[in-house]
Amino acid sequence: MNRVPTLRALGAALAIVLAGPAAADINIGVTLATTGPAASLGIPQKNTIELLPTTIGGEKVNWIVLDDASDTTKALTNARKLISEDKVDVIVGSSTTPNSLAMREAAVDSGTPMISLAASAAIINPTDPKTRWVFKTPQNDALMADAVAVSMKANGIKTLGYIGFADAYGDGWLAEIKRSAQTAGIKVVAEEKYNRNDPSVTGQVLKLISANPDAVLIGAAGTPGATPVKELVARNYKGKIYQTHGVANPDFLRVVGKDGNGQILPAGPMLVFEQLPDSNEVKKTAAEYVVKYEQKFGTRSTFGGHVYDAYILLSKAIPEALKKAKPGTKEFRAALRDALENSNVTGTHGVFVMNANDHNGLDNRARVMVKVENEKWVLVK
Amino acid sequence: MDLSIAALLAQDGITNGAIYALLALALVLVFTVTRIVWIPAGEFVAWGTLTLAGLQTGVAPGTLKVLVGMAVIAGLMEAWGCIRRGQAGRLPRRLAAWTGVPMVVAALVWWLAPMQLPLPVQVLLTLVTMTTLGPLLYRVAYQPLAEASVLVLLIVSVALHFTLVGLGLWFFGAEGSRTPAFSSTSFTLGGVNISVQSLLVVASSLALIGALALFFGRTLYGKALRATAVNRAGARLVGISPDFAGALTFALAALLCGFSGVLIGPITTVYYDSGFLVGLKGFVGAIIGGLSSYPIAAAGALLVGLIESFSSFWASAFKEVIVFTLIIPVLLWRSLTTTHHEEDE
Amino acid sequence: MKWLGSRAAFAVFVAVLAVVPQVAPAFWVTLGNYIGLYSIVALGLVLLTGVAGQTSFGQAAFVGLGAYTTAYLTTKYGTSPWLALVIGMVITAAVALFLGFITLRMKGHYLPLATIAWGISLFYVFGNLEMLGGHTGMSGIPALSFAGFELKSENRYYYLIWTITLASLWATNNLLDSRPGRAIRALKGRLEMAEAFGVDAARLKIVVFVYAALLACISGWLYAHLQRFVNPTPFFITQGIEYLFMAVVGGAGSVWGAVLGATVITLLKQVLQDVLPWMFGRSGNFELIVFGILMILLLQFARDGLWPWIERILPRRTPPPVPPAEPLPARERATRAGPLLEVRKARKQFGGLVAVNDLSFEIRPGEILGLIGPNGAGKSTTFSLISGAAALTSGDIRFRGESIGGEPPYEIARRGIGRTFQHVKLIPQMTVLDNVALGAYLRGGSGIVRAALALDGAEETRIKAEAARAIARVGLTEHTFDAAGSLPLGKQRIVEIARALAADPMLLLLDEPAAGLRFLEKQELAALLRSLKSDGMTVLLVEHDMDFVMGLTDRLVVMDFGEKLAEGQPADIQRNAAVLEAYLGSVV
Repeated sequence: MNRVPTLRALGAALAIVLAGPAAADINIGVTLATTGPAASLGIPQKNTIELLPTTIGGEKVNWIVLDDASDTTKALTNARKLISEDKVDVIVGSSTTPNSLAMREAAVDSGTPMISLAASAAIINPTDPKTRWVFKTPQNDALMADAVAVSMKANGIKTLGYIGFADAYGDGWLAEIKRSAQTAGIKVVAEEKYNRNDPSVTGQVLKLISANPDAVLIGAAGTPGATPVKELVARNYKGKIYQTHGVANPDFLRVVGKDGNGQILPAGPMLVFEQLPDSNEVKKTAAEYVVKYEQKFGTRSTFGGHVYDAYILLSKAIPEALKKAKPGTKEFRAALRDALENSNVTGTHGVFVMNANDHNGLDNRARVMVKVENEKWVLVK
Repeated sequence: MDLSIAALLAQDGITNGAIYALLALALVLVFTVTRIVWIPAGEFVAWGTLTLAGLQTGVAPGTLKVLVGMAVIAGLMEAWGCIRRGQAGRLPRRLAAWTGVPMVVAALVWWLAPMQLPLPVQVLLTLVTMTTLGPLLYRVAYQPLAEASVLVLLIVSVALHFTLVGLGLWFFGAEGSRTPAFSSTSFTLGGVNISVQSLLVVASSLALIGALALFFGRTLYGKALRATAVNRAGARLVGISPDFAGALTFALAALLCGFSGVLIGPITTVYYDSGFLVGLKGFVGAIIGGLSSYPIAAAGALLVGLIESFSSFWASAFKEVIVFTLIIPVLLWRSLTTTHHEEDE
Repeated sequence: MKWLGSRAAFAVFVAVLAVVPQVAPAFWVTLGNYIGLYSIVALGLVLLTGVAGQTSFGQAAFVGLGAYTTAYLTTKYGTSPWLALVIGMVITAAVALFLGFITLRMKGHYLPLATIAWGISLFYVFGNLEMLGGHTGMSGIPALSFAGFELKSENRYYYLIWTITLASLWATNNLLDSRPGRAIRALKGRLEMAEAFGVDAARLKIVVFVYAALLACISGWLYAHLQRFVNPTPFFITQGIEYLFMAVVGGAGSVWGAVLGATVITLLKQVLQDVLPWMFGRSGNFELIVFGILMILLLQFARDGLWPWIERILPRRTPPPVPPAEPLPARERATRAGPLLEVRKARKQFGGLVAVNDLSFEIRPGEILGLIGPNGAGKSTTFSLISGAAALTSGDIRFRGESIGGEPPYEIARRGIGRTFQHVKLIPQMTVLDNVALGAYLRGGSGIVRAALALDGAEETRIKAEAARAIARVGLTEHTFDAAGSLPLGKQRIVEIARALAADPMLLLLDEPAAGLRFLEKQELAALLRSLKSDGMTVLLVEHDMDFVMGLTDRLVVMDFGEKLAEGQPADIQRNAAVLEAYLGSVV
């Protein structure tokens, strides 16, 4: 599956002689944050690539995976490398919003479609020449934030305290929840920030508690989401604790332990697919993916699901594009873009119905509310 | 902010500060004896936690693999050195020390890991592992460069930091771990809630500092280390091997950092890359002590812990800015009040 | 530090650079762009850390300042990017001046930590300001255009980046081989010596710091318009560490080390990215591990970085002899009756210990005066008082009738008192010529800007010629272009005298010049001093070696316990009972 590596340190002659990929293959470039602060997102995504087939629409597919260490410069460099060296027809990545924003430039310059795996809607909005080439598979933060606000309203929450990461993910969620909360008539009375490597969040939590909110929303991804929980519990906070979909992984449950019981979060349906009714549109696809993933890697990951969804989108779009042009050409990439823009498929996270103004295409079917009970995920009906 | 909140913040700050202080001491120790700015100290802290966490789940921690690998490399380096100098007779003893001992330690821990022994035993195993790792690191990465300039040694430290972070990711994965607290009780004193765990952290830090002070003041080895710190060439002339001094220093420093890791594990989730920022804060403490004075370094680390705690209450978004900006006037004050000997490189 | 020994090698380098975008794959251009950007920052570090010895981890923050200034101004106000560059440089200079003023006062190890401190601070400031896009960043930065040309394509940008990189290399290289450059080279570990020759070390450090910051700012500006997106992560302390890494790995002693380091590290990362998955399978993340190990190995085998290895294989041209030039203005030597230097009841007390106890003596013009005495007599302290290295507790020292007590070393140097040091303080990697030329620091006036733009040619020629004259005077012409550290100790001491002569002094203070010399070397030194005296030089000689002193000096002053024990001709001193008792115990 790996292409033959070119040893770039050698001279130009050697680089020309050593083969690049064969012309008729489809090359899919992937850049993920498999090291660095976002590694807990990138590693399951990389694992998922291992499960993907190597043919689509009868043509051979090369998945070329690079690590961008959660760094924007590296993500952009990787994108440029994939485009000019590996002549990819489409780029998948990156795992984080800033990385994806940086990569857009490369995608647009070269006319290569890009499927981002990151959270913020800003990656694909507003619709303009830059975002024309960019798509994304994860649910927009806005979609998830709305679900949280709705749930809070239903639980009679009037005031909300927020504590989240001091990074793009935390910033993004804060902006979204403020918007959604306002619509739901909930007031945000405290905003605190923390870093995943902070040894303690005592100060922030004390400040939050002193504002006495009915509920606290923690804007984190991965196991660091447990840190404020432990502190809130230690301080005897009695209000409701909400999390974001970023903590929907089993390591979080492991670290948070019984302190996590009672927490509510929005998540992609695949997290609790066994508890979905059979009539649920997403259940079958989600099951396929999760079973395959768990067989090889142990525990499921919603982040990995976004990669699988990218594959599903491509598995429908590529055959369309193949009708119009050969892989490796500018026309093919343009056709692929058009095909992606008209996607209408069921993925592991939801049903994608895209159009020119919506390059994500997910709706309420892409989210469910989940509660932690007895240290397990339980679907909230 | 009322008194109870201030007390909680102070408690938090002192607890963290005690942990940074151990780190600061390790850094001062390493620098004074070997002139190495030991940036990977943070990784040793993180690995301390993660090793213990691994033992907690009954799995032989990945640290053992590093131990074995380094032992092999050190053995090869020693062999090469002995042969080149024509001292083949010394080889068996050196190999026994550099390769044999670590292998025995690794085997022991590997054998005992699945038994899920009680917490104190696991802590002991963790400390033994980390302490053995320290001198190996010195032997493999630093000893060939022992006479290089401070800048080069610093860059080697940086490279080593990258390597250890990468190894950490490989062996411990991207997600973090916590270790169980020694005690989860707390009591109220004068209206303020004090947790026993915090007390234990501060107490054990003080105990370790006390033990070190005794070691340096009363034992021959301790004095030998102090001699090397003051004058390397002079110490060598009276028969103190700089290599031995370096190895012993790193063993002590690794012990300090490993212990820090054990103390910090119950307080927060530790990741494969948590070491860097923790190490940095210990480094701040060490510098406040001028990289030479232990009490001031410890005090400096405590100050960092307190500033961090209070500023995370006042302005959590700008916490790092406050901590690192406030350090600057302290540094300025320190640099103006200490006499400086020009480094003749 | 000269241009490449061969102009040809340099020409080849530029030619290869120019041709890359035309023939190489597009990704090479991408890499070339980043290498250029990193080289500019690393260059600043070579100057700041490698040469001036001020370790800075915070350059990434200055890159960020440059990038964010232009990002903000061009996206929010539609300012022209070129104007944004100027504004960015002004802001960076202001911030660097401020930070430098605070942190460069710190000595030793405090400085690197302070750079870490504000490096991290600035990062979090960037990330927390809404107006700068917070952690998510700012996109939509416009591309540069120049004379109607839009510099959007990577190829065109490549030429811009490398033009700027080469210009920076040129300027920095000029700077290093100039009057301020020699002073900068003395900042690392030779501060006391530099100040004795008139260098205002504190000011110079700040200037170098600002220079490095400006280079980083330019790199940041280029980066913003290349990526057309900025967010805080590339400006974190880890990137600051990498820049330092590049400088040291490449060879922090040479401007080419910056380019080499940037190239090696960037290419190595790419190679690892390609090769490792192929070797180890895709499941691991070994790049960081292998990278770290390779760097450790590299440093173990190449402590001074890689550039010295390359320099060795490049063709070297023998430097041309120093061209003669019009002499620098000589010091006005109005002859005046009376002693040249008078020490009047000089007293130095350290707490309760009186090191120099109301000492009085004089040095007459044209004589060689020896200051001797048993150990602990206070000779060195007296020397420090005269040279300005220590302050008088009471009493006075007068030079040519004017009081110099309490003046700082560089003022005393300016008056025409030259000195050597007890422990030789030459800059070992610098040539003898450059070391001696440093002595003429106060006789020149070029500042950093003139030096960087190579506008100081005329003055440089004169200074070099002056230095060559001094070297000829002391008889070391055949060593003119040797590295000063490669000479034996005796010759190094003579180089120090040449350096003192280059300042055109009237009085030479020699601090134990014969210490550690072999017999023949001492004879050479004595011959030189006699020759200088016959040209009218006045010399104060502090010494231990009796034979050396007796045969050379005109008069002697003997000290014991901080006081003058005896004074007179050498023959008389040798018979003086009090002196014999002080040195040998009681007379038999």
